[in-house]
Amino acid sequence: MEKTIETQVLVIGGGATGTGIARDLSLRGVRVILIEKSDLNAGASGANHGLLHSGARYVHSDIEAAMECRSEGLLLKQIAPHCIEETGGLFVAVPGDDEAYIADFPGMCERAGIPCRPLDVKDAGQMEPCLSPLLIAAFEVADAAIDPFKLSIENMNHSLAQGGKYSNHSQLKEFIRKDRKIIFARILDTKTNETSRIRADIYISATGAWAGFVAAMAGVDIPMVYSKGSLLVTGQRMATRVINRLRQAGDADILVPGGVVSIIGTTSLRVKSPDNIFPSVDEVDLIINQGKQMVPDLGSRRYIRAYCGVRPLIGSGGTDDRDLSRGFCLLDHANDGVENFITITGGKLTTFRLMAEKTSDLACERLGLPSVCRTRYLALPQTEGSGWTEPGVSLGQGSSFHGREEMMCECEMVPASAIDAIVAGIRKNRAVPDLLSIALRSRMGKGPCQGSSCSLRVLSHLYNRGEITGPQGVDGLRRFLNERWKGERALLWGTSLAQSSLKEMIHCGLFCLELGQGDLP
Amino acid sequence: MTEYRKMDCDLLVIGAGMAGMVAAARAASLGIRTILAGNSGSLIFVSGMMDYLGVYPMEARKSVADPALGLAGLRAAEPDHPYGSVDHEQILQGFDFVKKVLGKAGLAYHLSGGRNLSVLTAMGTLKPSFMVPKTMEKGTRLFGETAEKKSLLVIDIKGLQGFSARQVAAGMEHRLARVIPVTVEIPGISQTIPPIVLAQLFEDPKVQEAFVRQVLAFSDKVDIAGMPAVCGVHNSLGIQQRLENLTGLPLFEIPGLPPSVPGLRLKNAFETSLAASGVTFLSNVTIKDPVFNGKKFTLTGSTDNRELSISAGGVVLATGRFPGNGLHARRERIVETIFHLNVHQPVTRSLWHGTDFLTRQGHLVNRAGIETDKDFRPLNKRGAPVFDHLYAVGSILAHNDWIRLKSGAGVCLVSACAAVDRFHKRRSKAGP
Ligand SMILES: Cc1cc2nc3c(=O)[nH]c(=O)nc-3n(C[C@H](O)[C@H](O)[C@H](O)COP(=O)(O)OP(=O)(O)OC[C@H]3O[C@@H](n4cnc5c(N)ncnc54)[C@H](O)[C@@H]3O)c2cc1C
Ligand SMILES: Cc1cc2nc3c(=O)[nH]c(=O)nc-3n(C[C@H](O)[C@H](O)[C@H](O)COP(=O)(O)OP(=O)(O)OC[C@H]3O[C@@H](n4cnc5c(N)ncnc54)[C@H](O)[C@@H]3O)c2cc1C
Repeated sequence: MEKTIETQVLVIGGGATGTGIARDLSLRGVRVILIEKSDLNAGASGANHGLLHSGARYVHSDIEAAMECRSEGLLLKQIAPHCIEETGGLFVAVPGDDEAYIADFPGMCERAGIPCRPLDVKDAGQMEPCLSPLLIAAFEVADAAIDPFKLSIENMNHSLAQGGKYSNHSQLKEFIRKDRKIIFARILDTKTNETSRIRADIYISATGAWAGFVAAMAGVDIPMVYSKGSLLVTGQRMATRVINRLRQAGDADILVPGGVVSIIGTTSLRVKSPDNIFPSVDEVDLIINQGKQMVPDLGSRRYIRAYCGVRPLIGSGGTDDRDLSRGFCLLDHANDGVENFITITGGKLTTFRLMAEKTSDLACERLGLPSVCRTRYLALPQTEGSGWTEPGVSLGQGSSFHGREEMMCECEMVPASAIDAIVAGIRKNRAVPDLLSIALRSRMGKGPCQGSSCSLRVLSHLYNRGEITGPQGVDGLRRFLNERWKGERALLWGTSLAQSSLKEMIHCGLFCLELGQGDLP
Repeated sequence: MTEYRKMDCDLLVIGAGMAGMVAAARAASLGIRTILAGNSGSLIFVSGMMDYLGVYPMEARKSVADPALGLAGLRAAEPDHPYGSVDHEQILQGFDFVKKVLGKAGLAYHLSGGRNLSVLTAMGTLKPSFMVPKTMEKGTRLFGETAEKKSLLVIDIKGLQGFSARQVAAGMEHRLARVIPVTVEIPGISQTIPPIVLAQLFEDPKVQEAFVRQVLAFSDKVDIAGMPAVCGVHNSLGIQQRLENLTGLPLFEIPGLPPSVPGLRLKNAFETSLAASGVTFLSNVTIKDPVFNGKKFTLTGSTDNRELSISAGGVVLATGRFPGNGLHARRERIVETIFHLNVHQPVTRSLWHGTDFLTRQGHLVNRAGIETDKDFRPLNKRGAPVFDHLYAVGSILAHNDWIRLKSGAGVCLVSACAAVDRFHKRRSKAGP
């Protein structure tokens, strides 16, 4: 017999939106369980640009979204400063860019109430020396950089502290319906292959690009298209501010700093499914060739990682998916004949809090609970062990790291004590640590060596601490290597290829991880 | 101040990795006046094991017991593989040659009698190899078709990262009668210790005794003990024997993460051998700008403060792949760095790598490289040797995914020996 757990609200999906909802509801005193089929930020929340939009980007295509970004951006800077770096941002144009668009831009910003200051192109070049010397226009806006990993981890931690529950590797498999209601959800533990039931009053799908699949389990149709976007991480930070190309949204027109690196992207490609996607060699070349028009150095930079995410777009749009609204989409499925089922999808990282608020309002209304949202004013607490997602954090701001400590990841300076703190955090959620879950919560393995040695050091450390027993550690290593590979393979030339070859020599040439060990003599 | 000098030799070997070292040793053994130029530091990364052919076909995802059988299959299906230009006998002779060279320099190796050996690694996995440092030999007897199940003590050392006895034990539990993990503490190690520094410590009798005291308690519980490959940099076999005598246990070394002590021992032994056999070793010299005047090659060798003009009757290119810098990958294509030779490679970068890192088939980029004739002479686009006396050996050769086939050192040593032999033969025929 399957085990059954009861709760008031079941949230499906552990991205920014789902964790935001879990936090919001917990703060309202609602009992909530969040399930995630993989681990926190496995979807778009872990594969985006990390830009806290000032809104200027959308003044032309979607003024409502632009205004939402502006007000939410301001709010997040107040309540979650530890997840945000207030970099400021520039919009710049190079010869050939649409003059009419440039001329309209300040007016459009003003209409949306978004502060935008015209700059002399020479001043812009001095503010950001990496910019092309050929600029024809420049404006300053209030963009910022946000660490999406830290954000989701802290959201979830805050919910846990209020009595919320989180379960990773737990995939929604089935809704069991009776008349106009879902009576329980069947959940698969993807690690043990066991199923269990969760019985809730309200079911919220915050599954981003997967919302169509989840809705289908409740017998509801949400027509969706998927747009893949790829991004490249440079080995070093290239600019102080966010740099946007001043034109209609196109490929590779935003460069966002993140700690000691910069991220350039994105592309926009229709894909058939949100699963099994990775950045392609062609996309990488496109991003570099486009990006270097704005920042010439992008043509010769060393890139350490590529990644991609999927934007869910509701309904089938026109030719360019970027024209489809990036506003969010809250669906009350009572309208589709399922009274206790809600979907929230689309939107942006920047507006996650607002999305969570609106969704929680609707859920509480359905529950018949009079309640007020507290996330608009209440600061997001900073917890221990969450500071390791940010690149180079140990080098900069005050962390507890001391020079002589045992180092696990030398590229990213992650000491053993950080690994231990992260593992303790994972254990607190009653989850089992492995290399992937640690990598998700830290910069481990994300430096130039792409995890060739640190993966092995961390693995043996985990064995020595008794955190891993039996043969599953090496399987975890295989999963880690294959996951890292997705971000590596399209970027392998020059030094990166040399380093990656060395990694393959160690992991395959020497340790034979590609062989099925059962068959060896 | 830059110093200029002219040098002359019969054969210039470029690259001091596995392939270059063997080529130079072979040339010296044939009495060829040889210069070897390159950085032998790359040897510190190698595991110390020398593979012949551990896996064939790749799809099998397991090792072949008899490399000769694998070789027959490989030569039939992939005649362009470097092994297509040599036979089983030559490969065995190549291994034997290297064994003797290293033995004379004081580094003992154990050469298989014909079957692949199974070597336990620091990951707790098994790796097929063909010739291993003598200090690893006893471990290989634990596995194999006829081995009886023994009890094993796995020892790790506090402070040595990337090696956990528990992890090795977890990988071996189901294969052996019993596996006990234990951690040994060496006095004076506070935090972490690099393997090479630890190996130097192991040369100290006091450290050896501390080790023995902690292992002794297990002597009657197990049949044999494995430890990280840190049993001294010099005289590793002697130190191992001393530890065996004192603990009363047969011991073997387990290869792990680079930098590798067995790699350092190899580097030292090759360098000793070069010095003894009269090869001029220009360590840390980078070779560039080759010119051929119809009879001889002239190349420039440079360091920070020296410019050398080296003239040579023949050249062996043993510059390795991407890590060694013999091949360099630009965003659009792969080039050879010294002679700008034609590099066999996939048509676009999107074909270089598969979507699965641990793919069965291996990545096509690993089969890119220099195509040669049967004498290991690089070919131009029309399929003719570029020069009469230019040879390419080792991992730079095309059609050779040594990582998947487990044939790294084997291809290096046999191509090096064969190329030098053929240079020698051709030169003697042509007269001085
Ligand atoms: C390339 C790209 C760049 C972007 N850049 C920015 C930016 O710079 N700034 C910005 O504000 N926004 C940006 N966005 C948008 C932003 O990333 C997303 O709007 C946001 O992350 C969506 O979060 P989410 O929680 O709704 O969805 P997701 O993060 O996708 O979360 C959905 C989760 O549901 C889980 N799930 C799916 N099915 C199941 C199931 N059956 N059972 C259990 N769990 C399930 C998935 O594993 C996933 O973790 C970008 C998006 C993309 C694709
Ligand atoms: C991590 C690792 C594990 C391994 N494990 C095994 C194993 O288990 N079994 C096995 O059989 N083999 C193993 N190998 C070793 C492998 O056999 C050889 O190292 C590999 O085939 C490369 O040898 P090479 O001599 O062709 O090239 P390299 O070792 O790369 O040597 C090339 C040399 O050329 C030099 N060079 C390049 N350009 C120039 C120039 N212009 N001027 C001067 N010098 C130049 C470089 O400095 C370098 O010294 C391993 C190697 C590594 C790195």
